[in-house]
Amino acid sequence: MTMHPLAWWVWALGLAVAATRTTNPAVIALILASVVLVVLARREDAPWARAFRGFLVLGGCIVAIRMLFYVVVGIKTAGAVLVDVPRVALPSWAVGVELFGPITLTGLLVALYGGLRLATLVVCFGAANALANPKRALRSLPPSLHQIGTAIVIAVSVTPQLATAAAGVRRAQRLRGHEPRGVRGLLSTAVPVLTDALSRSLALASSMDSRGYARPLTGRTDRRVSTLVVIALAAASMGTYGLLDGTSPRWLGVPVLAIGAAAAATASILAGRQVRRTRYRPDRWGSPELLVAGCGVVAAVLLVAATATDPAALDPSLSPLSWPQVPPVALLCAVVAAIPAARVFRRRAERGAT
Amino acid sequence: MRTAVGSAQERRTPAAARRDGDALPLGLRTVVVLGLASVAGLLAFGWPLVLSPGSGLEHSTDAPLVLAGLLVAVLGVVFVSLSDGGIDVKAVAVLGLLSAVGAVLRPLSAGTAGVELIFVVIVLGGRVFGPGFGFALGSTTVFASALLTGGVGPWMPFQMLAASWVGLGAGLLPRRVRGRREVALLVGYGAVAALAFGMAMNLSFWPFQLGTGTSLSFVPGAALGTNLHRFVLYSAATSLGWDLGRAITTGVGLALVGGPVLAALRRTSARAAFGAGARRAPR
Amino acid sequence: MIHFDHVTVTYPDAVRAALTDVTFRVPEGELCLVIGPTGAGKSTLLKAACGLVPHFTGGLLEGRVVVEGRDTRDHPPRDLADVVGVVVQDPASGFVTDTVEEELAYAMEQLGIAPSVMRTRVEEVLDLLGLATLRSRPLADLSGGEQQRVAIGSVLTSQPRILVLDEPTSALDPAAAEDVLAALTRLVHDLGMTVLLAEHRLERVVQYADRVISIAADGTTVDGAPAAVLADSVVAPPIVELARLAAWHPVPLSVRDARRRAAPLRELLVGSKANRHPSAAGDQVVRKSPVRAAAPPITVLAARGVHVRYGRTHAVRGIDLTLSSGQVVALMGRNGSGKSSLLWALQGSGPRAAGQVLIVGPPGAAAKADPASMRPRDARLRVALVPQNPQDLLYLDTVAAECAAADAQIGAEPGTTRTLLDRLTTGVPDPAHPRDLSEGQRLALVLAIQLAARPRVLLLDEPTRGLDYAAKRHLAAALARHAAAGAAVLLSSHDVEFVAESAGRVLVIADGELVADGGVRDILVASPTFAPQVAKILHPVDLLTVDDVRRALAATR
Repeated sequence: MTMHPLAWWVWALGLAVAATRTTNPAVIALILASVVLVVLARREDAPWARAFRGFLVLGGCIVAIRMLFYVVVGIKTAGAVLVDVPRVALPSWAVGVELFGPITLTGLLVALYGGLRLATLVVCFGAANALANPKRALRSLPPSLHQIGTAIVIAVSVTPQLATAAAGVRRAQRLRGHEPRGVRGLLSTAVPVLTDALSRSLALASSMDSRGYARPLTGRTDRRVSTLVVIALAAASMGTYGLLDGTSPRWLGVPVLAIGAAAAATASILAGRQVRRTRYRPDRWGSPELLVAGCGVVAAVLLVAATATDPAALDPSLSPLSWPQVPPVALLCAVVAAIPAARVFRRRAERGAT
Repeated sequence: MRTAVGSAQERRTPAAARRDGDALPLGLRTVVVLGLASVAGLLAFGWPLVLSPGSGLEHSTDAPLVLAGLLVAVLGVVFVSLSDGGIDVKAVAVLGLLSAVGAVLRPLSAGTAGVELIFVVIVLGGRVFGPGFGFALGSTTVFASALLTGGVGPWMPFQMLAASWVGLGAGLLPRRVRGRREVALLVGYGAVAALAFGMAMNLSFWPFQLGTGTSLSFVPGAALGTNLHRFVLYSAATSLGWDLGRAITTGVGLALVGGPVLAALRRTSARAAFGAGARRAPR
Repeated sequence: MIHFDHVTVTYPDAVRAALTDVTFRVPEGELCLVIGPTGAGKSTLLKAACGLVPHFTGGLLEGRVVVEGRDTRDHPPRDLADVVGVVVQDPASGFVTDTVEEELAYAMEQLGIAPSVMRTRVEEVLDLLGLATLRSRPLADLSGGEQQRVAIGSVLTSQPRILVLDEPTSALDPAAAEDVLAALTRLVHDLGMTVLLAEHRLERVVQYADRVISIAADGTTVDGAPAAVLADSVVAPPIVELARLAAWHPVPLSVRDARRRAAPLRELLVGSKANRHPSAAGDQVVRKSPVRAAAPPITVLAARGVHVRYGRTHAVRGIDLTLSSGQVVALMGRNGSGKSSLLWALQGSGPRAAGQVLIVGPPGAAAKADPASMRPRDARLRVALVPQNPQDLLYLDTVAAECAAADAQIGAEPGTTRTLLDRLTTGVPDPAHPRDLSEGQRLALVLAIQLAARPRVLLLDEPTRGLDYAAKRHLAAALARHAAAGAAVLLSSHDVEFVAESAGRVLVIADGELVADGGVRDILVASPTFAPQVAKILHPVDLLTVDDVRRALAATR
C-alpha cells in the first residue's frame, strides 16, 4: 500500500532540523524547493493533503509579519538607509520602545532571512501533514498508549458522522417551524447532536466491551512503571532547566534529558507489555520507508556537520552585504532531500504493496 | 439461590463511585505525575523568561523543535501513566465522542488559532467527568482536530498541554455548586482560562515570531521584570485583541449552552455508572 | 449452553425489577426468539446473557446466568467475548473503524490473535455472509442491511458459539431482512451456533424459531416450543391471531402450514364475499374508521412533475400525485427508491429540482400555495412531516417543556399538545426526559407536536421502526382519526402488515418513478413481496388483516 506515515515524518523533521541550522537564504530556499517538489510529486488526493496550501500561506504570513515588526519596532542599526522614517518615541510606560526609524536594507534582510527560516520549518511540518496518512499514523502508537489512542481513533472516525447528524437535526428543526438562527437555534441544534453523540458513545462502549476490548488489563498498576514515570518527568524538568539556564553545569542539560528519555522509553515498554493486542495488517517498514527516512536524516546530518566544522561557508553574508553564497554541501543536501520525489521509488513503493 | 453479583462494594452499587462521577479517577500517584509534568510544562512555556545567555538554545532556532519534542515526550509519559492498569471502556468512548464534538466545533471558530469553541466542550467535560478526564479531554480534542484538519505543527504539543490544563482546572472547581451559580462559575473560569491559554501560547512563541532584533523581543538573561514588560507590550500590540475575543467567545458560549449541556452530560454520567464494571481499585 | 437460574435484575434507581425470577435453558444449536411488549425487559434479558448486565450497566443481578459453562458473575463481557457475540439494533453505532475489513478484524485484534489467523478468518466470514464485494468499502456508504451483516460478521470472527441479537431487522426493508435472517439460519443449521434473538416484527422470524421465550409486562417469562407459547402470548403475529380466530390447534407458524389448515375457512369466506361489494380502484374513503368523515373529500395536495436531484443521483423522476382529504395513503418501495426524498420535497424543506406542489390552506384561507416558498413557521400549518428519526425534533429536557414550546411556536392555547399526546398514548409523565421514553411514546410525542398545528397534510417517514403491535394499532387509529377530521395522511413504510391495517390507498415507487397507484386491496394482494400474511394464507380470498376476516365471518352469520 502506501508509505508508512512515520517515514514521512522522519524525513520532514530531518529537513526541519537542516533548515534551522543557518539563515543563509539560498540554502533555505533550496530546502524549501525540495520540500515543495516532493509534496507535489507524492501527495495523494486525500483531505489531509489539501492543508499544504494553508501551511504555505502561513509561512508567507510569518515572513510578512516579521518584516512588518522590523519596520515598526525593530532596533534600527546603522547602515545604508533605504527609507528614512522618523522615529516616534512612546510615553514613559513603554520605556525603551521606539517606533519606526530609518529602515536599512541590512535590517530588512535580517528580518526576511529569519522569517524565511521559521517559515521553512512550518512548511516542513505541512509537508509531513500532507503526505502522511493520519489514521495510519495512529496505528503506530505504542501499545502503552493503546487506550488513549483508541479514544482518538473513535474521535477521528466519528467526526464526519457528527457533521451529517448536525445537518439532519437542522433539517428536522425546520419541520417544527423553527428557523435555527441565533441563540435558540444553536441550542436546538447542538443539544440533540450532543445527546445523540453521548448515547452513541455508550452503545459504542458496550460494543467494544463485548468484543473483548482491553481484555488482559487487570486493573493493577505496575509499580515499576510508576517509578520510571516519576524519574522521567523529574529528569525532564531538571534537564529543561539546565538546557535553558546557561549558568548551570554541563551535566544538567542534555545528559539528564537523555536519562529521562531512557526512563520514559522503559516505562512505555513495560506498560505496553500488559496490553496484548495484535494488528490486522501491520504497516511494514520496508526499503522505500528506509530510503525516505534516510534522506531526511542524511540531509540533517550534512548541514549539522557543515555548521559545526565550517560555519563561515554558510554565512548569510550580511556584513558586508553581498549576494548569498551557495556552498556545495547545501546543494547536496537539497538534492538528497528531493530524492523521495523520484518516480522510480514511487513505483517501487506501489509494486511492493502487500 | 439469591446471590448478588459482586459482593465487593464497588461492584454491586455504583452509587459509591458515582459520588465522584469521575471517569478517570486520580490517585496519589497520578497527582504526583501530573504535578511533575506541569512543572516541566511551565518551563517549556515560560522558556523566554528562563533562558539565559550561554545556554544551548540561545540562538532560538532549535528551541521550537526541542521544546515541542520535550512536550510530546512529557505528554506521552503522562498518558502512559494514566492508562496504566486500564481505563474504563465507557470513559474511553465518551472521551472519543466528546473530542469528536470539539473537533467538529473547531473549524467553526473564527480566528487563526481557532480554538475558542472547543474550550466550551473541554470545560464542561472536565466539570462533569472529573479532573483526570478533563486533562485527557484537552489533549485528545486538540490532537484529534489537528489530525482531521491536517494541522499538526510545532505548536500542537503546546496547545495540547495548555488545553489539558484548562480541562484539569475545570475538574478541580468546587463540586457542590449547582444551578445558575454553577454556570456563572464556569463562565468566569472559562473566560480566564481562555485568556491564559492565549497568553501562554503567545509567550512560548514570542521569540520565534520576533527574533531578537526588535525592541519588543526578549532579552536572554535579562531580569524577569524587563522581559515581562516587553512581553506585555508585545501582547498588547499583537494578539491581545484575539485573546480577549477568545475569552469573550468562550464565556458567552458557556453562558448560552452551559445549562442544557451540563444536564445532558450528567445524564450520561449517571447512565454510564463509571465504576460499576471497574475491577480496579482506585489508585 | 445458556442457562438462567431464578434470575432477577433490578437497575439502579429503579422502582421495580426489570426481570423477575427468570429460569430457562437454551441448549446448543437452537434459534431462540425472545418476545414481549415494549418495556417488558427483552433487552435486559439479552444483556444479562452476555454479561453486560450487571458489569456494564450497573444494577443488581440475583440468581445465576451461566453461558457455556462460565458464570457471568465472575466474567465481565470482555471475558465472554470468545463465546458470545452481541449485535445491537443500530449497527452503525457500534462500528469502531472505517472500513468493512478492519471492522471484521477488530474483535480478533482485541483478543490478541495472530495476524495470519486473522487473515483467514476474515476471508471466511466475508464468504459466509456474502460481503466479499464490499471488503474495502467505507462503512458509512453501506446500506442498512449490509451494515447489519457487517455487524454480525464483526462478532463472528472471534468464533463465538452463541450469538445474541437485539432487533436486527427492525430498520431493514423486507429484502434485507430476509438476507439477515437467512444468514442467521445458516449459522444455526450449518455451524450449530446458538442464536438468541429479540424481535418485534415476528411475521418473518417465527417459522425459524426452535424455542420462544415470552416476557410479560411484569418481568416474568414463559418459555417453550413456539406453537405452545405463541398460542397464549399477548404479542402475536397475524398468523397466530388468525389461528386463534379459526381455532387451529396446534398453531401453525409458517404460511405453508397455515394454508394446509385454511381450506375450510377459505370456502366459508368465499361464500360470504359474494355478498360484498367489490373493492373500487381509485379514490378510497378511509376503510374502517369508526368516525365518519365530516365533509365530502376535496383535493388537499396536488403535485405535478416533481423532480429531486442530489448531485448526480436523480432520486425522484417526475412524479404526479394528488391527495384528497380523508385518505390515508401508503408509499411503498425498496430502500433507495426515493420515498424519503419525495416526502421531504412535498413538505418543502427538501431539495426540489423541478415541479410544482400546491397545498390547500387552513379552512378560511383556502388559497393553495407551495410550501417551499413559505417560511417554515407558515408551512407547518399546512403540511407536517414526521421524519425517520423523530428524536431529532426534540431538544428540551422534559415532556412538559416540549409541549409548552410546541404550543408557543404555533401560538396555540397552552395544553393543546399535551391533550393530543394523551389521546395518542397514555402513561407519559410530564417530568420524563424525552430520551427515556420508549419508541412508541417518543413517536407519539413528536406526532402530537406536529399535529398541534392541525395541518391539512401529514407526512410520515417510516413511522413503525421499533414499535410493537399494540403501538402500531394505536398509531393506525390516530392516523384514521386525523384523516377523518378532513386531512390527508401519506406515510412511507416497509411494514406490510401496518399498511394493510391503516391505509386505504397504496402508491408503489421504484427508482424514482411511480409504478402503481391503487386501492390497498388491489396492490397488496397482487404482489408476492407486498402481500400481508393473512392474504397469503387465504389466497385467493383477498382479505388483508385478521380484523377483515373477523368482520367477514360476522357477516356470514
